[in-house]
Amino acid sequence: MLHILNKPPHSDAAVQMLSTLSGNDTIVLIEDGVQAALHPEWQGWATNEVSIFLLVEDAISRGIHSIAVAHGLPLIEVDDFVVLTEQNEQIISWY
Amino acid sequence: MEYGLLVMGAPYRSAAPHSALRFAQSVLNKGHHIKGVFFYQEGVHNASQLMTPPQDELNIREAWVELHRQYGVSLDVCIAAALRRGVMSESEAKRHGQVNFNLESPFELTGLGQLLELQQRCDRLITFA
Amino acid sequence: MTEPNERLVVIRHAPYSSNELREGLDVALVAAAFGQAVSLLFLGQGVLALLKEQKAGAPGQKSTLPTIDMLEMYDIETILVPTETLQNFNITADQLVDGVTLLPISDLPDLFQRYDYVLNF
Repeated sequence: MLHILNKPPHSDAAVQMLSTLSGNDTIVLIEDGVQAALHPEWQGWATNEVSIFLLVEDAISRGIHSIAVAHGLPLIEVDDFVVLTEQNEQIISWY
Repeated sequence: MEYGLLVMGAPYRSAAPHSALRFAQSVLNKGHHIKGVFFYQEGVHNASQLMTPPQDELNIREAWVELHRQYGVSLDVCIAAALRRGVMSESEAKRHGQVNFNLESPFELTGLGQLLELQQRCDRLITFA
Repeated sequence: MTEPNERLVVIRHAPYSSNELREGLDVALVAAAFGQAVSLLFLGQGVLALLKEQKAGAPGQKSTLPTIDMLEMYDIETILVPTETLQNFNITADQLVDGVTLLPISDLPDLFQRYDYVLNF
C-alpha cells in the first residue's frame, strides 16, 4: 500500500497513518509532510520495512532540502511519485 | 493506466490543487490517461469562473480547463457540495432563483455517485486534500 | 471476510468543527444507497461523531448525529472504532451510540488491506 502524507510528522493525520502501516508499505511525504526531515526522532523513520520518500520539489521550496540530504533521506521527483502509484494498487492520502 | 483524482482543497487556501495539477501533468507525460477529476468539499471552489487572482499568480481554474482541453480530462464537481458553497451553473442558478452563476463547461455538476464510479472504473484514484 | 467491491469510508473529523464529517458520511450513505457494502471506520477526532449525547450546535449548524442514527437504515452495520482511540479521548464505549464495534488499533493494517475501495475523509 502507498500512503501519501501532506501534513507535519506530529499531526493527527501522520499519527493515524502510522497506525495503519503494514510491512512493505511505502510512504511519500509531500507538501508539509517533508517537515519529517526536521525530526529524526519521528516514529515513521523507525518503522522497519516501510520505505519513506520525500518529494524533492516540496523539500526544496520549504528550505529543507539540504537538511534532508544531510540526513541521507531518499528524495524523489514527481515522476518517481507517479511510478510509486503505478506500483501500488491501494493508495491512501492522509491530510 | 487509468487514473482518477479526487480534489478536496480550495485554491489559495490549500496546496492540494497545485499538488494535484503537478501530479496530473506527470501522469499524462508518462502516457497514462486521466479519466476524471472529482471536486468535493472545499475543492468545489476550483471551478469558480469568477476566480480572478493577480496577474503574477496562477489562475487555478484555467489550469484545470487547460488539462481538459489538452487531454480531455473530465472535471466533475459535486453538486451538493458546490451549491451549499455558492458554486453553480446557469441552469442550477435559475432553478434556485439565483441571478448569478459561476460554473461553466468544461466543469460539470454531478452527484457523489460519480466519485464512486470514478474510483471503480480507474486503476488508481489519488486524493489531494 | 469482505465481499468484492466492499468499501471502507474513514471518518477523521469532529462534529461541528467543519463540514468534513458530514460530507464524509454523505459518501458512505450514497455508496450504501447504490447497494454497495460499506464499512465505516472512525479514527482520531472522528470518534467524537459517535458520542450519543450530542445536541444542536450554534444556530443553523446542522448536526450529524441524526445521520449517524440513520446508518443502520442504510444497511451500514459495520461501524469500527479502535479501542485505543477511545482511551486517548477518555471516552468509554457506553458513551457512544449503539452498534459500534471496537477493535484493537493493531488490527488496522489488516483492515485497510481487506477493502477494494478506501476513501479517507
